[in-house]
Amino acid sequence: MNGDFWGKWWPQYQQATIETFQMVGISLFYSILIGIPLGVLLVLSRPGQSWENKWVYQTLNIVVNIVRSIPFIILLFFILPFTKLIVGTSIGVKGVIVPLVLYTSPYIARLMETALLEVESGVIEAYTAMGIKTRHIIWHVMLREARSSIILGLTIATVSLVGATAMAGLVGAGGLGDLAYRYGHLRYEVDVMYITIFILIIIIQSVQSIGNRMAARLKKD
Amino acid sequence: MIRLENVSKVFKIKNKEVTAVDQANIHVKKGEIHGVIGYSGAGKSTLIRCVNMLEKPSAGKVIIDGEDITTHSANKLREARQKVGIIFQGFNLLKTATVYDNIAIPLKLIGLNKEEVKARTEKYLDIVGLADRHSNYPSQLSGGQKQRVAIARALSQEPEVLLSDEATSALDPETTESILDLLLKINREFGITILLITHEMNVIQKICDYVYVLENGKIVEDGNAIDLFTSPQHRTTKKFLSAIAQRNLSPSLISQLHLSGPVVRLTFIGDVTGKPLLAEVNQKFQVKSNILAANIIELKNGVIGNLVVHLIGDKNEIKEALSFLSKQNVGVEELRDDN
Repeated sequence: MNGDFWGKWWPQYQQATIETFQMVGISLFYSILIGIPLGVLLVLSRPGQSWENKWVYQTLNIVVNIVRSIPFIILLFFILPFTKLIVGTSIGVKGVIVPLVLYTSPYIARLMETALLEVESGVIEAYTAMGIKTRHIIWHVMLREARSSIILGLTIATVSLVGATAMAGLVGAGGLGDLAYRYGHLRYEVDVMYITIFILIIIIQSVQSIGNRMAARLKKD
Repeated sequence: MIRLENVSKVFKIKNKEVTAVDQANIHVKKGEIHGVIGYSGAGKSTLIRCVNMLEKPSAGKVIIDGEDITTHSANKLREARQKVGIIFQGFNLLKTATVYDNIAIPLKLIGLNKEEVKARTEKYLDIVGLADRHSNYPSQLSGGQKQRVAIARALSQEPEVLLSDEATSALDPETTESILDLLLKINREFGITILLITHEMNVIQKICDYVYVLENGKIVEDGNAIDLFTSPQHRTTKKFLSAIAQRNLSPSLISQLHLSGPVVRLTFIGDVTGKPLLAEVNQKFQVKSNILAANIIELKNGVIGNLVVHLIGDKNEIKEALSFLSKQNVGVEELRDDN
């Protein structure tokens, strides 16, 4: 590797890293927006919970399972018309956000469900007994008490999201995964592939350790 | 203040109906402390959870301060619940919040303004003796301290009624004592009516005015603490009593002693506990008494002394001695080898 190499590839890496961050950032934002309420609903509509509703619970359960069964690569093409309807295009970073969100939000919903179920039912009961509204209990008891597990769950979701963006190259969205695949794998530029993978390793490591540290700090027991 | 009228709770488990609470009637007058005692599985928890509708009764009425809350709408029920505090065996505090916030958050959520929240939180932390721990997290506190926070949280809503769901069952004896003292104090100082459930007879003994004994969801016996402790009727009540004071000798011992004279349990209540009546009996009658067992039970509203004595002497003398004791307001009960 010499100056020539960097001169040639630096802009590409820069571009790809920005694209990866854009894809992950934007889809994570929308996935959280959809996933957390879904997770809350999955918990509260369960039998014995305050919004107990068999139909809502079963329907949600099945829908989440169906979406989670579809491999991302299939989902990406399967919903092309839907993507176009929502964002007006089915290519580029913009075009890949919709499938990424659709892929990640049910996953986040499941992770949130698990995190929220860990909250001691006794505390929720104590707040119910104090005459506190359910929406306040959701925010001040459930989400608050589960915050450490929520952060860990979101960390896992982010890591899997970074993985999914690798396939985004197929619709021309770019990103680091695409760089490694197109230049490194298809064109046998092994150096390019290794460096891309190295950058991805650093990103994943950082995401995981930031997540772990935040979770540890929020945990008080 | 609290009145349960024929409250029943039936659970459906796999098409089988299980009656957890069966036609319970409870009436706690303002300012009194009533206790429900029963073994685990008796339905105590379900019963107390019916009082604040954490468990909706299948039948019957729950009347708090004159209002039947079983027919309340969700909104009215929430308001009614704010008048009924509850503390639990597992404390149920927010792990992620400090001691201060554990009290302040619910106050904020029921709509108090900032100054009121601060004033009340500080006031009640002071009352439970934890003013210096306000920035600690629950994990840094002992069990007794956690229960104090929970009590402060319940009191801070300024309820008229406090329910206690096995609040001392997870605590060691010494801490239990201090929590019971605190409950007595808030009962006296704030006139808060308390209904508690427990499986520990010493809790009943120490703070209750009135007792209900629960078995298989049914109240099998109830009465003033003193009456219940002096003349328990039901088998379960007797069993609970023998947990704190030896009441019975083994049948073989009794039958052996019986050959030379009756074995009698004498129960002294209140003033009579101070008199040396047995010495008087020995002087007045041709009867010798041999003390086999003795204990004193201190209740909230009085003291009960129990003596099991073996009386030796002439049959008629013994009879007269016993009737003398009866006249002195001493409970006399002959023990036989069949009980």
